[in-house]
Amino acid sequence: MKRLGQANGLKAMMVAVLAAGIILLPPALAGDFALHVLTTSCYYTVLAASWNLLAGFTGQFSLAHQAFAAIGAYTSGLLIHYFGLPIWAGIGCGVTCAALFGLGLGRIVLAMRAIYLAIATWAFAETVHILLTAAYPITRGELGLSVPPLFHNLNPAAYYYLFSGLAVTCVLTMYALVRSPLGLFMRAIRDDELRAACLGIPTTRVKILVFTLSSAFAGLAGAFYAHYVVVLSPQLADFSEMAKLIIMVVLGGLGSVSGPLIGAAPVQVLTTYLQQYGEWDMVVFALVVIAIMRTRAAGVSGLIVAIAVRVRRQRETGAPMADA
Amino acid sequence: MSLASVLSSTSNRIMSEPLLSVADIHAGYEEGIDILQGLSLTVAAGSLTVVVGPNGAGKSTLLKTIFGFLPGHRGEIRFRGRRIDALRPPAIKALGIGYVPQEINVFPFLTVEENLLMGGWMLRRDRTRLAAAIEHAYETFPMLAQRRREPAGALSGGQGRMLGLAREMMSAPTLMLVDEPTAGLAPNLVAEVYALLQKARRHVGAAVLLVDQNVEDAIGQADYVYLVNLGRIKAAGLATEFPVQRVTSLIRECLVG
Repeated sequence: MKRLGQANGLKAMMVAVLAAGIILLPPALAGDFALHVLTTSCYYTVLAASWNLLAGFTGQFSLAHQAFAAIGAYTSGLLIHYFGLPIWAGIGCGVTCAALFGLGLGRIVLAMRAIYLAIATWAFAETVHILLTAAYPITRGELGLSVPPLFHNLNPAAYYYLFSGLAVTCVLTMYALVRSPLGLFMRAIRDDELRAACLGIPTTRVKILVFTLSSAFAGLAGAFYAHYVVVLSPQLADFSEMAKLIIMVVLGGLGSVSGPLIGAAPVQVLTTYLQQYGEWDMVVFALVVIAIMRTRAAGVSGLIVAIAVRVRRQRETGAPMADA
Repeated sequence: MSLASVLSSTSNRIMSEPLLSVADIHAGYEEGIDILQGLSLTVAAGSLTVVVGPNGAGKSTLLKTIFGFLPGHRGEIRFRGRRIDALRPPAIKALGIGYVPQEINVFPFLTVEENLLMGGWMLRRDRTRLAAAIEHAYETFPMLAQRRREPAGALSGGQGRMLGLAREMMSAPTLMLVDEPTAGLAPNLVAEVYALLQKARRHVGAAVLLVDQNVEDAIGQADYVYLVNLGRIKAAGLATEFPVQRVTSLIRECLVG
């Protein structure tokens, strides 16, 4: 574990200033549509980062993450629609409900091994998708469920700041989690679950805890998103959403905190602007994902780390390309 | 001290209060096929007890059953007088039993220090004790302190075993179940690994139940010996009662039938 030295502290501050600049500038420069794309990018950043917690750090490839976002969104939307709850209470219920579904599903599926876990979670997500579509007397199905907006003046900059703040808070929380002892046990389970069990670590319980937390983050993102898009459709739980999350995380770097941060926004921006050419963007992304998986590359974040290590080594030895 | 007095003092200790007692245990991986067929043994506090026997005798299965990975369906296992045969591994670990499985069992992608922290699962809420346990491990094995930031995958075979044992010491167990610590190691490292095992054991004052194919060296380390065949005890006694020739002929008997 790295101790933050003074130089590292300075570096961290520089990164923070740079990040603040990147986050604060767009409303001054970008148009409303571009700002909308960035706001949805923040939603996907939270989803991708929380899925990475599960898949990248704990090795549990769940395919139900989009369903938890939909559960968060619809719980909040339905409660407000039928019972007139205030928005903040609706969001709170959405998060709680997603976490409870995560806990319940986790208890059933997390004793399973890789492929069975993937199949079972996929089946769960499809069930949620179908239920949301079929229960149209309640959810209004494909017609869409109207929910109240968070801000009445629909100011894009306000939403943008809210969502980027949400994304930053969530990612920092997840960073702290990964750095905590729990994060260590998560990575150990990913590396070798049986070895971890030999140390007396209750591996299934750790996995269920992470699954619940990750579902809660997805529910949180979904609930906020609901009151931004204002009309909910079962499309939220569609498998293509999950595919997008996988692309974002793998492209950015699976099992790296910065991975989803690097991957989410560019993929979301590209898919939005490539939509005019039909679904071809997904084909291109799929090929890139296959290439990354085939070469076991660590995504863009892995590439950056590799370059940084190389630069540092050259600086230390003073002889460029000495070890090449 | 005469052999007779050693014998009586050892057997007294075992009789009075065994740390671990396994009685008539039956367990297996498939229903109807028992690997352990009524095996019984005891481990005295602070002792090193070795279990030897031919391949497939049930030695590793015995350790898995004691640690709760494999439920026994008959017989009982007691630790400090308390029945543990229905407990799961985390509960058994919490009672003070450690399990060091076969082969190198470090997490290659975690650093040496993170591997040690893994062994401190039981201490995770007590930071001062955790830090003290890590310092203690570094004092015992200074090599690990030098390489604390390196990934454990970069360690050699012998160093990997060292880390595996040091990690087990973190929770200061009263009983360590050790499976084949020298399997797959170069012969010149074997003596070193036994020395490590003894060192680790003395530092935390633990009893060891050792399963070993390396019969001669293992018995040289042990206080007490059990010879297992086909899931039952075939012979038992003080290590001094098991000279090499006797063990070899006993194992040959097992294999030939």
